[in-house]
Amino acid sequence: MRAYIASRLAQTALVVFLSLSVVFGMVRLSGDPVLLFMPMDIQAKDVDEFRQRLGFNDPLAVQYARFVAGAARGDFGESLRYQQDAMGLVLERVPATLLLGSTALLLTLVVAVPLGVVSAVRRDSLLDHLGTLATVLGQATPGFWLGLMMIYLFSVQLRWLPTGGRGTLAHLVMPSIVLAAFFAARIARLTRSAVLDVLGEDYVLTARAKGLGEGRVIGKHTLRNSAIPIVTLAGLEAGQLLGGAVITETIFAWPGLGRLTVQALLNRDFPVVLAAVFLISVLYTLINLVVDLLYGWLDPRVRLR
Amino acid sequence: MRGLRAALAASLALALLAAAPAGAQDRAKSKEIVIGLGAEPRTMLAVTIVDWTTNTQLEHIYDRLLDRDARTFKPKPMLAESWRIVNDTTWEFKLRRGVKFHNGEPFTAQSVKATIDYALDPASKSHFASAAYWGLVKEVQVVDDYTVRFVTKQPWPNLVDSASLTNSLIMPAKALRELGPQKLAQQPIGTGPFKFVEWKRDERLVLERNPDYWQGPADVARVTFRFIPEFSARMAALLSGEIDIMKDVPPHVVEAVERSGRAKLRATVSSRINYLALVNLKPGPMQDVRVRRALNHAVNVEELITQVLKGRATRMCGPLAPANVDYAPAECYKHDPQRAVALLKEAGVDPAKLQLTLDTPSGRYPLDKDVSLAIAAQLGRLGLKVNVVVNEWGTHLDKIKNRKTGDMFFLGWGPALHGQGTVQPLFLADQTYSSYGNNPVLNEKIRRASTLLDPKARAEAYAELQRLIRDEAPWVFLWQQHDLYGVASHIEWTPRADEKVWMYEAKVVAR
Repeated sequence: MRAYIASRLAQTALVVFLSLSVVFGMVRLSGDPVLLFMPMDIQAKDVDEFRQRLGFNDPLAVQYARFVAGAARGDFGESLRYQQDAMGLVLERVPATLLLGSTALLLTLVVAVPLGVVSAVRRDSLLDHLGTLATVLGQATPGFWLGLMMIYLFSVQLRWLPTGGRGTLAHLVMPSIVLAAFFAARIARLTRSAVLDVLGEDYVLTARAKGLGEGRVIGKHTLRNSAIPIVTLAGLEAGQLLGGAVITETIFAWPGLGRLTVQALLNRDFPVVLAAVFLISVLYTLINLVVDLLYGWLDPRVRLR
Repeated sequence: MRGLRAALAASLALALLAAAPAGAQDRAKSKEIVIGLGAEPRTMLAVTIVDWTTNTQLEHIYDRLLDRDARTFKPKPMLAESWRIVNDTTWEFKLRRGVKFHNGEPFTAQSVKATIDYALDPASKSHFASAAYWGLVKEVQVVDDYTVRFVTKQPWPNLVDSASLTNSLIMPAKALRELGPQKLAQQPIGTGPFKFVEWKRDERLVLERNPDYWQGPADVARVTFRFIPEFSARMAALLSGEIDIMKDVPPHVVEAVERSGRAKLRATVSSRINYLALVNLKPGPMQDVRVRRALNHAVNVEELITQVLKGRATRMCGPLAPANVDYAPAECYKHDPQRAVALLKEAGVDPAKLQLTLDTPSGRYPLDKDVSLAIAAQLGRLGLKVNVVVNEWGTHLDKIKNRKTGDMFFLGWGPALHGQGTVQPLFLADQTYSSYGNNPVLNEKIRRASTLLDPKARAEAYAELQRLIRDEAPWVFLWQQHDLYGVASHIEWTPRADEKVWMYEAKVVAR
């Protein structure tokens, strides 16, 4: 087990290194980083001086080597835009993203799993059809549209909730619902089909035949056996949620990682982009590791292998 | 079980209620103003980063050396009470006495010297070290506690213009030396009407009234800047009463603001100008002045203003606007399609065969993309084929700098308050964002105008330049933007052409 985790952690390091290298190459292709943070009436001479000072005139290989050497020490350099430690800026955004992401994930699971189970058990009932309709709508509705409509209704018209920002529980309501809507729809559909698959199995028939209550049949025999695909998808979604929800964070002015990363990309603030990519890829691969370990807990057969 | 559920529901409801945002009415009572901005400041240090969003917030904390008259745009006293030219390369400022920084440190000539020295120090990585800002300053000399001299590397008549912008926000010398810039970047100390309270990244900057302000305390007790990146959300925040002021309401939603009853529109003609560059710095039809003039006759600027911008722009006929201290009137190119066609033919260009490319940003200036498309349609009426390329902002800048745009591009410039700041960076070939240049006569006259200290000689030089540039038609001259602000009904505040958004000038009217 320990060897397994160690090898997975080594893989994580490799994945992080490779994604950083790819992103490093890609951001360099996107254009001159200096122009966007300098004022427009700056003279060509000054632009060049800044570029020289920041090392953007060096050959790409030299820049890359310098970047790798820095990143290995956890130093991603200074934000071009804010003239502050890039990793510091990224880490400052993590609590907000964790709060929003975990709330949305919780909301997703609390709503979607029961909905999926009920839809499967009461297949072809009115409830099932309504559930299907809701999940299709949830997946098809663009987040920015849903967000703006909710702001219009609940903030501008009814004035129940703040339009955005962070601070109180009320600030969390709309962004977490918008974020959860899409993911919940996916999980609910997957839960429904996974539960349906298991319901057709012989052991469920056996369980019912020996007179087990429906609660135990569903709760113990069915749900646990259909958990693996659900956990897999939930794990992937958790990774996405923790990487920051770009659109939701932007619309609701939520001070998270996604908003920072996208702004940094648009402003070609390379150090911030790379620091964010580093953190997100580490989180993402670690969550995958946790999911894989969960498989073993859920399904003893996986453990034996 | 039921009891537990009810208790849960009740506590949730309570939490939501308690959390409900302080409404506009509460704020009116406590005299607090919330301003919604698209981005947060990039630093809390003065004279470090050139950026409107940053320095607009900072100038609530720090004062400028000189201010600008809101109507005439001429420099006027602020931290400095008077100024004079000592010789070709020396300016002298007499400073106000009895002004104190928020930490109690007195404002003196040392403060001015320390601030400019900081800006010029390469270690500060300040944008203001550039020649376009303080780069022409050789040395700041302290004559006595309240007299300071700027010695320049060459005659620099625009120094006084530079001193009357956020270029000259002054920091405390002793704190700068003892605490260092890193500390001040967290806890800024100025002489301004508001004191720093807190800056929550990507959320808000909170300031409170400085009761000992040298001009007397502000009417507003608290100013909060909230950072809301998405325009529609900013709009919603204004309409729901969460914020009190927002900038850049697009012309087509003006009515929604007026109808809301919560806010009203406050508009001003801006010193920021928009133009269509006709690029002569690369091979193509725009190298011929007749083609450039033809395009000025072909584009119907009035129609663009009324149809696309709903009247929210003021036409310009030359390169400078009346809000510019060096402005001189110029004769407009008349909209005259026949004359345009005749000029094109004279230049040996068949309008039906002319294919042009127009680069435009999208969302950077009011309706920039729509204006560009409308220009293409107008030129289409003459048979010209215009291909409009819409660029992401960074790409747009890259293309202009590397001279990779099409024959034309759309750009804005400002706040354009003095002549040199416009003609030098935009009509000389070696400048970053110029589209026109390599005209020996203009090169020489621009160089000369930027060194004239005598007001009359300077006025004449810029008037001549404006005439010449108008005739050279390096742009299709478009307009001054109108800055449109949404302002909550309980706030009295008049916007200014120089984009200064200063809450010392605002009043909260409780009803």
